[in-house]
Amino acid sequence: MKISDIATKVIGDKRRWRAYKARTRQLPANYRAAVEALERYLMFFGAADGDTAASMYEDLIDLFERAAADGTPIREIVGADPVDFVDTFIQNYSKGGWITRERERLTNGIERAEGLDEGKRS
Amino acid sequence: MGKQATEMLKGTLEGIVLAILAGRSAYGYEITAWLREQGFSDIAEGTIYALLLRIEKRELVDVEKIPSEKGPPRKVYSLNAEGRAYLDEFWRTWSFLSERLEQLRQGGNQP
Repeated sequence: MKISDIATKVIGDKRRWRAYKARTRQLPANYRAAVEALERYLMFFGAADGDTAASMYEDLIDLFERAAADGTPIREIVGADPVDFVDTFIQNYSKGGWITRERERLTNGIERAEGLDEGKRS
Repeated sequence: MGKQATEMLKGTLEGIVLAILAGRSAYGYEITAWLREQGFSDIAEGTIYALLLRIEKRELVDVEKIPSEKGPPRKVYSLNAEGRAYLDEFWRTWSFLSERLEQLRQGGNQP
């Protein structure tokens, strides 16, 4: 896989990514710093395919643009535990992601293990 | 709000949001503000936002974009027929859970 293919998976469509980045630059510094912190986490744990990734960042910036316009304090947006918030947020996009694939692998692995044990107990 | 309350609330938050929307249409901030007034002070606005995105994707709500004086348009959510059906199911589950827990507290149905 080429580097550019990997990048497309993580950030999605380049045009949409650039539009998202342009929107983050319009935010007041504190909101922008919060978005960048969340972005880093999302790149690591976030969406699987490009389309999902692009809408994930767009939904994120929608939230922060609204919050900046309302003057909502950052702590009120992300809560006492930002990880808890971001994990709830990610659930909307994780379908098909590597975490989902690993979960399926685990489920199948246990089913196989169960099959191996059949009949031995009685 | 303590850690225990936060943990317990997590599983029911989606149902709570739907129940609020059954009464009236609302946008995200109004829902968060209402929860805070009710004493759920630890609720993050972002968490409510994430839940609203989820129920939107599952088509349990209708969404209307209302222009705002300042900043981007606000999304106003209202419960649709599917959302109502889902909410009924939530209340049935809640009744089951709360009845069993109450029995356990009263010591009437101990194992």
